[in-house]
Amino acid sequence: MQNLTLSFTFNDFLLMLRGAGITFVLTIASGAAGTLLGFLVGWGRSAPSRLLRHLLGAYIEVVRSVPLIIQFVLFNSFMAIVGHPMNPFVSGLLTLSIYISAYVAEVVKAGIDSVPRRTRMAARGLGMSYLQDFVHVVVPIGTRTVFPAWTGLMLGLMKDTSLIAVLGASPPELLRASQIIITRIQEPLMILLGAGVFYFVMCAVIAAASKRYETRWRREQETWQ
Amino acid sequence: MIEIEAVHKSFGELEVLAGVDLTVEKGEVLCVIGASGSGKSTLLLCINALEPIQQGRILVDGIDVHGKATDQNRLRQKLGIVFQQYNAFPHLTARQNVALAPRLVRKAGRKEADEIAEKRLLHVGLGDKLEHYPSQLSGGQQQRLAIARALAMDPDYMLLDEITSALDPELVGEVLDTLRMLSDEGMTMIAVTHEIPFAREVADRVAFFHAGVIHEIGPARELIGNPQKPRTREFLSKIL
Repeated sequence: MQNLTLSFTFNDFLLMLRGAGITFVLTIASGAAGTLLGFLVGWGRSAPSRLLRHLLGAYIEVVRSVPLIIQFVLFNSFMAIVGHPMNPFVSGLLTLSIYISAYVAEVVKAGIDSVPRRTRMAARGLGMSYLQDFVHVVVPIGTRTVFPAWTGLMLGLMKDTSLIAVLGASPPELLRASQIIITRIQEPLMILLGAGVFYFVMCAVIAAASKRYETRWRREQETWQ
Repeated sequence: MIEIEAVHKSFGELEVLAGVDLTVEKGEVLCVIGASGSGKSTLLLCINALEPIQQGRILVDGIDVHGKATDQNRLRQKLGIVFQQYNAFPHLTARQNVALAPRLVRKAGRKEADEIAEKRLLHVGLGDKLEHYPSQLSGGQQQRLAIARALAMDPDYMLLDEITSALDPELVGEVLDTLRMLSDEGMTMIAVTHEIPFAREVADRVAFFHAGVIHEIGPARELIGNPQKPRTREFLSKIL
């Protein structure tokens, strides 16, 4: 039978390529959901309500303090215990989103805080509402400031997606796919090296995309006060 | 008319405004002088409700600035404010900086807002810098941009918070020229400043701010040339 062969086949390559695709999709989906949630949490952290600030602060602390791999298992089991067993892939995706949202929230908060108080006052002084100031002044300025930090989070997230393997999620992402192949052909070093190259290429693509924005913004940014 | 009546404001233990009374008539230019950190800037921020007050009241054209029913976003359109550090919006060109508020607040169309911006920038001598970003402008140009941005809302009053203090000496002149022009056009201005010669030349009245109150106020030449109170004399002798 063909798949009992002990050497690396084209199908193995396809399995890894598909795994890389899954990794990419996981990153994009949890990155988008986590950024949206993190944006709201980070924004809430700058709210006047002390209660809200403390609640959100606690959320961030808890999520950041518990190892991601434990969160995967706990969240997945929790959903099963409360009677809503989830597809491991979906529960993994949700866990990743929540996990990264805590880090995004801190970055968002830093972005908001980076906008000089007087610049916000200038906007309000022109008659802009809180929301107009936030949308047209705070968000664009803050985004430019913390964009590199956010990109770093997304690159880290891509690598963290491999931990979803503990749930036995299917379809397999890149690392899980690699492990499946390793188990059969017993060539861990070559396969892991190959997987590393896949991760590197995907990171390079994201980094290059973000670089383009940064370069465009830097032109304006040269001597920000 | 701006009427400030017995206004008190504290930051925690520190009382920065300790019962300020002041009236500024339409068309008047008032310069406020006094030591750094004495609360002059805070007073300006209170006049357009960027800072709350704890006691007293401030009326602008009869509207209670800090009244619960007051629409402060609307009120602030009457009061242009310019700060020491220019605080241009760094992500927008000069034109976009000036056009933003007319577009968002007055709901002007893009074209109309652009025209307002062009006109205002021309007015302050930045007609050739429309597409420049603030980072590509000198300090004096950024400060004139900030003035144009405030003027774009057609304010009745301008609040100027030490707007030449952050500038290199050779750039102060161009900003003061802009203020002279506004004064000639009859703009009502309250300017916190350290430029005593400018105050003497342009201001109708000068107020010396000390210990959280208006310590002495009078016609510009009289107060600067012949201050009545010892504190005022002491301050002026140090700064001149």
